[in-house]
Amino acid sequence: MAERTVVLRNPTGLHARPAERFAREAARFEADITVSKQQQDSSVNAKSVLSVLTLDCRQGDEIMIRAEGEDAVQAVAYLSGLVEEGLGEDVIR
Amino acid sequence: MTGIIRGVAAAPGVAVGPVFIVEMEKASEEGHEPAGSPSEEGDRLYAALEKAAEQLDELARQVETKIGPEESGIFLAQAAFASDPTLIQRAEEAIAGGLSAETGVTQAFQTFRQQLEASSSERLAARVTDLDDVRDRVIGILTGRPIGATGPNVPSVVVAAELTPSETAGLPARMVLAIATERGTETSHAAILARGLGVPSVVGAEGLLTAARTAAEMAVDGTHGEVFVDPDPETRRRLEEAAVDREKRRRELAGLRWVPGATRDGRHVELAANIGSLSELESASQAGAEGCGLVRTEFLFQDRTDRPSVDEQVVVYRQILSAFPDHRVVFRTLDIGADKPLPFIPRPLEANPALGVRGIRLGLHQPDLLNDQLRAITRACRESPGRGAVMFPMVTRTAEIDESLAMLVAVAEEEGFDMQRLEVGAMVETPVAALIAGRLAWRLDFVSVGTNDLLQYLFAADRLQTELADLPDLFEPAVLRLLSEMVTDAHAAKAWVGVCGEAAGTITGAAALVGLGCDELSMAPSAIPEVKDALRQVTAPDLEEAVDRAMRAEGPAEARQIMDAALPERSAVPRKQ
Repeated sequence: MAERTVVLRNPTGLHARPAERFAREAARFEADITVSKQQQDSSVNAKSVLSVLTLDCRQGDEIMIRAEGEDAVQAVAYLSGLVEEGLGEDVIR
Repeated sequence: MTGIIRGVAAAPGVAVGPVFIVEMEKASEEGHEPAGSPSEEGDRLYAALEKAAEQLDELARQVETKIGPEESGIFLAQAAFASDPTLIQRAEEAIAGGLSAETGVTQAFQTFRQQLEASSSERLAARVTDLDDVRDRVIGILTGRPIGATGPNVPSVVVAAELTPSETAGLPARMVLAIATERGTETSHAAILARGLGVPSVVGAEGLLTAARTAAEMAVDGTHGEVFVDPDPETRRRLEEAAVDREKRRRELAGLRWVPGATRDGRHVELAANIGSLSELESASQAGAEGCGLVRTEFLFQDRTDRPSVDEQVVVYRQILSAFPDHRVVFRTLDIGADKPLPFIPRPLEANPALGVRGIRLGLHQPDLLNDQLRAITRACRESPGRGAVMFPMVTRTAEIDESLAMLVAVAEEEGFDMQRLEVGAMVETPVAALIAGRLAWRLDFVSVGTNDLLQYLFAADRLQTELADLPDLFEPAVLRLLSEMVTDAHAAKAWVGVCGEAAGTITGAAALVGLGCDELSMAPSAIPEVKDALRQVTAPDLEEAVDRAMRAEGPAEARQIMDAALPERSAVPRKQ
């Protein structure tokens, strides 16, 4: 199992295209991957764009990415890197 | 059944072909007993979801080539919804409990729908429509009644109750022979789209949908406003002959492409194109348009969930400017109101959207939106060879112009853009704007009359109300007098006067407007060649004299007759009536 907490830096947060990108990239891994918003208990399937959207994560929110399975470590490293790079959007550092 | 359905002639020409009905009827899962075992229902579910995702991917591809990559995003998102693993899991669970595929998948959609709807975030709530769309598509596939604007696969006559912008986005241009709608008027969206595509169209044809359901073929005569249901051989022959004549005429007129718009005695009248999508650029330049007198920038903002960035807008504006390196391109700033709500501009419902917070009113109310757009326009102009212009819609007071200009000047300064390179104007589409055109014009380079809205407001007749389609009339002598005074006032203020309403694209209308002294007429690309040809055969003084008499006519019918009489035999090829 692997997990990491990252801050959403991109303007759109986990909405619209960034959310779609996140779910699509998550689906490339074998591991079961969940994502949850900090200070909230409910975690959702990271491969489900609809579930990710319902979390309503915005710029500045902390999210926890957790994975279980063979490629869990790679999945968490890759996805958290993607979030830190802004999920395809420009990031103001 | 054969028969004729009469409607409003909305775009000229004739076409015959199979019927394709575009219907956004809401799907219903009710009353669906499971047809098979849970595992059979499950298989139906997977097949339907897969097909929906395929259709949406295909739509995204079509929209990408037709409109642009940004616009296609919405359909890609919808495709992702259709293959969402949690959605599928929830539907599977419902089906395992003995429900039909239809009911199971609807329940699964419903759980997400409730979550999205309950969210305080505007952004999420706006996605409910996208989600419903996908649900309806899946249910349509399951019940064998395809729902949603998937578009025809063979060249067809497209029939609808009324076409919305998002429905038209799904129509592959090459597959549209003609467009016929049950509701709407010649200024409704379907009509504007048809003229943009250069296909015939009839709108406001009552009884059309009922007839279309049982018809194999329909013929649309957009010149005379008639739709023929399963036309007999004789009718077909007559219509096809007319189509041949039209083609001949089209080839004759093609020779005028590089000739500037002018009267016989050499008064230059710029004949420009109104465009509402990038796909119309090609037909505009083929028609010999001298630039764009109206770019409806709304197309950049519609059918999407987030607002376009400045950079994204710059790319599109530059593309339009570079299509007309030698001419002017007039960008009308976002003209949106409560009748066309956008998810990223949350607005309260209005009882009277046409009279509400729209156009420049919204722009000044939400300055960040207008500011972004002005920045994008100045940046695009800075980097392009053509002559850019900005036009503000729905103006009623000089203060609105002063405020907008201040905003524009500030943006231009920030962008290091020389304002001398940009013309600025206002739409004259409210009665008061026509009355104060002189005072507006002193602050501006030009004014452009939006005849559709101006007439709607002068006659207090909703543009979308079919029964009232005949009421607003440019040829009401008092309207002509109002316009005449407006042109005089604007010219006195050293501003040029354009017209970008539908009236500019009719031969008689164009003749009257030139007679009134208008300097530029902007119209649907398909209308340019005929108008150019007609104007080249008359002199400006003759038109002035005729319009002078028309202003003193007894009523609209007589005024129109006077203008018609001033025009010569219109073409070498006789056109069948």
